[in-house]
Amino acid sequence: MDDLQYRRSIYADPTCQDEDILAAQQADPAKKEFAQDLIQLDERLKRAMQVPVPDGLCEKLILRQTLASHQQKKRKSRVHLALAASVAIIAGLAVNYLQFSSSFTNLGDYALAHVYHEQDDFSNDDKNLVSLTSLNQKMIAFNGSFEQSLGQLISADYCRFDGMKSLHLVFKGITDTVTVFVVPKNEQLAFSQYFSDSKLQGESIGFKNTNVIVIADKNESLSQWQRAISDNITWSI
Amino acid sequence: MPSQVSNNMATKQVRYEALVRALHTDLYRYAYWLTHDKQISEDLVQETFLRAWRALDSLKDEKAAKSWLITILRRENARRFERKRFEMSEYEEANVMDTQSTSTEQEIENHWLREKMAQLPPEYSEPLVLQILGGYSGEDIATMLNLNKNTVMTRLFRARNQLKEALEKEPVTRGQYNG
Repeated sequence: MDDLQYRRSIYADPTCQDEDILAAQQADPAKKEFAQDLIQLDERLKRAMQVPVPDGLCEKLILRQTLASHQQKKRKSRVHLALAASVAIIAGLAVNYLQFSSSFTNLGDYALAHVYHEQDDFSNDDKNLVSLTSLNQKMIAFNGSFEQSLGQLISADYCRFDGMKSLHLVFKGITDTVTVFVVPKNEQLAFSQYFSDSKLQGESIGFKNTNVIVIADKNESLSQWQRAISDNITWSI
Repeated sequence: MPSQVSNNMATKQVRYEALVRALHTDLYRYAYWLTHDKQISEDLVQETFLRAWRALDSLKDEKAAKSWLITILRRENARRFERKRFEMSEYEEANVMDTQSTSTEQEIENHWLREKMAQLPPEYSEPLVLQILGGYSGEDIATMLNLNKNTVMTRLFRARNQLKEALEKEPVTRGQYNG
């Protein structure tokens, strides 16, 4: 190893333990001294490099991290809270929607479903009849009254017509019962004047605040019923 | 589940605090020799440890912690240059740490050597600090600085060469004439 190469190696790393370096030091005490010299310089440089560290830096670093991760946790829990709140609101809205919105879009569909639902409760053979007086007592709630009886009234009861308080009348008909609904007007259900399915037919008349719906089997003349109702009913203010 | 999470957090906290205690001194000094500014060094170290906290789970090998932190710190320092490219000033005499309040012989020598080291070009002083203060080998430094080993060895040679020349020019009686 020539001198220049040796010096370069030692300058780059005074503690170099490569074999050829060690061999060169063995052969030439001056080379060894040169390395010792630089190791000493490194010691001095190391001392100089060890600049004082600011007081409390360690504690500051730990404190800052603790605060930062605390902030982060608070942010996270706020996000969780917001998520939970959103879910709760949506659940509330969904329940509200399912419970209070109708699954029927028009009067006719709902009326038919209602009649089918209760068709076993009434029959043309029922003996108990409702008087005109008690019918009219119930009509007070709708500000209306009938002048004459429309026929043999089997049942007159308040019921829920798609969530609205309404009057459900059942008359004897030619072959089967005739159902009349007195229902307050409402925007939720579209007015449908005529409707029918394979068994039943229906017709609605819209009065000022009330819809009157007649439903019967195909043997009845609905227009006759409707005319009788229109002629017979009076609305008070 | 929540207790495990907080347990993990507690473990992480312990790891972090151990890391800070063991390495903040080395890291601060490294930052100081990189920036020659006490305040910037402190900020850099703070930022480095905050980033280290966030990425602590990725640190698998505790032995590699120091070079991992140094890598983060170098990246933070580079970012500082991007931000403040136009505000950066060259090294100034006044920025050199003054520790002469207790003017022992040793302190005077340290001060003098610090001045000389601060005058080294950063590409020379950085590997020198890593070698002497960090105790890293030429290969380690080459990896950390993303250079090849020969380049690192050349820079180390030049760094020591320049410092030695500066030392030899200085009169033996230096310090007594200071002030």
